[in-house]
Amino acid sequence: MWRISLSAAYRSFGCRIIGPKGLWGSHVVRTCSTPAIPADRITALQAVGLWKNHFAERGVMEPEHSSLYIAAYLLGAKTIESLEQGKLSEFLSPEKTEQMWKLCSRRLSRMPVQYVIEEWDFRDLTLKMRPPVFIPRPETEELVELVLTDLKMKPGTGVGADAQHTCLEVGCGSGAISLSLLKSLPQLKVTAVDQSQDAVDLTGENALRLGLQDRLQVHHLDVVKDAETVLSLCRHVSTLVSNPPYLFSEDMPTLEPEIFRFEDHAALDGGKDGLKVIKQILTLAPQILSNHGRVYLEVDPRHPPLIRRWVEANVEEMRYVETRHDITGRPRFCILRKETSNKDHKLDLD
Amino acid sequence: MASRRAANLLPRGRECVSSLWVQKPPNILRQTASFLHHCHNHCGSTTRALHTGTPWTAAKLLSVDELFAKRSLQEHLKKVETEYSECLRAASGGGGGGGVTEQHCEDELRAKRTRVSLLAPLIQSIRELDTKERETAETETLLRDEDAALRELAELEHEGCLQDIQDLRQKILELLLPEEEADLSDLVLEVTAGVGGQEAMLFTDEVFDMYQRYAQHHGWSFDVLEHMTSEIGGLRHASASVSGPQSYKRMKFEAGVHRVQRVPRTEKQGRMHTSTMTVAVLPQPTEISFTINSKDLRIETKRASGAGGQHVNTTDSAVRIVHLPTGVVAECQQERSQIKNKEKAMKALRAKLYGMKLEEETSRRYNQRKVQIGTKGRSEKIRTYNFSQDRVTDHRIGVTVHDIRSFLLGEELLDQMNSSLQEVSNQETLEELLGETQQDGS
Repeated sequence: MWRISLSAAYRSFGCRIIGPKGLWGSHVVRTCSTPAIPADRITALQAVGLWKNHFAERGVMEPEHSSLYIAAYLLGAKTIESLEQGKLSEFLSPEKTEQMWKLCSRRLSRMPVQYVIEEWDFRDLTLKMRPPVFIPRPETEELVELVLTDLKMKPGTGVGADAQHTCLEVGCGSGAISLSLLKSLPQLKVTAVDQSQDAVDLTGENALRLGLQDRLQVHHLDVVKDAETVLSLCRHVSTLVSNPPYLFSEDMPTLEPEIFRFEDHAALDGGKDGLKVIKQILTLAPQILSNHGRVYLEVDPRHPPLIRRWVEANVEEMRYVETRHDITGRPRFCILRKETSNKDHKLDLD
Repeated sequence: MASRRAANLLPRGRECVSSLWVQKPPNILRQTASFLHHCHNHCGSTTRALHTGTPWTAAKLLSVDELFAKRSLQEHLKKVETEYSECLRAASGGGGGGGVTEQHCEDELRAKRTRVSLLAPLIQSIRELDTKERETAETETLLRDEDAALRELAELEHEGCLQDIQDLRQKILELLLPEEEADLSDLVLEVTAGVGGQEAMLFTDEVFDMYQRYAQHHGWSFDVLEHMTSEIGGLRHASASVSGPQSYKRMKFEAGVHRVQRVPRTEKQGRMHTSTMTVAVLPQPTEISFTINSKDLRIETKRASGAGGQHVNTTDSAVRIVHLPTGVVAECQQERSQIKNKEKAMKALRAKLYGMKLEEETSRRYNQRKVQIGTKGRSEKIRTYNFSQDRVTDHRIGVTVHDIRSFLLGEELLDQMNSSLQEVSNQETLEELLGETQQDGS
């Protein structure tokens, strides 16, 4: 089973390496740095130990987690902890040993574990991961929690009490947010857009794998460049959710190689003040949302006061509701609400 | 297979009372056994029900008939009947009062009505039993009748009556046992290696597996929350959320210190070692019954330092939660999703805190009694797994089972051991109940 998916992965890697984007550049795995496959049979535990040390020597981040996750994946589990006891001390078959070496060599090139094993978990979903599509971070799991709590609290706001909730996600990446919402809310319909064709494809694939494709529309659109098209597609949406690129451009070079070399910069770099896409979303929001519709944003901890001031000065119909903190106590999420003035209110009722 | 296992369960050794089991007519044996089977819904709390100091000798295990022969039981039943009639009179009389006391009367009346409806099934069974006993007495005179045909008929009827009496007594005993709130809940199982280093950890792993299979055997879900392994494949500490019908009831007697005696895999000179591990069985509170203030929690993750968010990509999704007022800690790295790890750690933490609260309450309630409960009970050695003799002995009831491997499968043998514990526990609860009645009466 894993062999099939792995060989499929190989094909996709192949074309990426020689692809026009030149994503891999000089970071192609150097075979000379990979330890030789041992001649004798080894156990999974030995292989994990060997690679852990090798990763550590070569300065690869999280050496132990990396080798454990790769081994667990090869043995058919998600984590070492959930692996059946005793499996680690069994000998690896020659094929598995070879796979372990192939995958670990990729990790050695600083490829993120999530891309190496081509999947990761987001809340209760297992999603396919593929470079250069942004790998969802744990904070975004909390963003989804915020949206879910609110949507479950007050069903059917906006156009009529029985109206379905509709949601727009800007920058869907692998589809983590949209698919989690769809999975938890069986009545919800979602439109997702992303500026990257890779992201649009991956979101579609993940939706299909999870059987959630019927209530999801994915479009290859850039909110900044294709604003008119976005507006024509989305009207009277009750929820606008986004984990937009929010890094300050000056911070980009300080990123770990895992991020800087492998993930799509367009999903990370938010311009000089990290607000480029955020401002665009908030400018369009009044035209996209139904009255009292809400915007949920994941942002940089420096952003919330800036966003509040900017919205108050620039977007009349949006009210800043509150800032929420992430699990570690950083101000991470902004919630805003559309409050129409009287003259627009009429328009909204139609 | 099942019968062989059942035979294995017969007590052996000093503390056992095989003589008593043999002396009793077979129908009594069956009766006691069925008593416990019917009582799963009404048994007492985990630890309170079992003596831990001296082994509970099965000699004390009384049959239904013996229980009913006790004066204390008869007195208790009379007392319940009196209470019932009083409540009924008060409830149906109703009305009266007025002014300031009206509200008070109303509350009292409601309490009495509740009591009536609670006692009604028991009272009904007691009355049915009375009727049956009178009927039996009547047929007994017919047994001595001159007409052979009539005698035969009377004999049949007499037999039927005796059976009905047995059934009713059974039912009354079940209804007498108070229901414990925790019995209806799911649970969190915790195993921790004790004395004995690596060997204790290896044994802890085997015991954890045994309970996983026990859960499977009963069709309960078994969701691992914490799992901390040792270098050579042992288990330092683990916890799991277990849920399913009867799960807490069937698991609660497992709490305590389990001792293993064997030549460890790690031992080079073939010497026998004695090691221990501890099992805790904590009822899982519902969100409503037990709340934790989020301000009292400190949540620790790998991502706590630095900017977090899009700046960082880590695969370390472990979550550790500290409850600041008590210092109780729960952690989980079972999942790849951080929010899932947080949920699981919260589950473990809630169960730990709830367990502490329950323990505090029960020890306050029962500290006058000789029966060991709570923490004390948990620190007592409850069971020994002796590999060279291929036996498992439960020290609380002095019961020995042979075939350790089958026992560790977590199927019939463990189940039967639990049934025996349940049986003793039920009787202890009943004795406590009757003892209290006597004191009240004097």
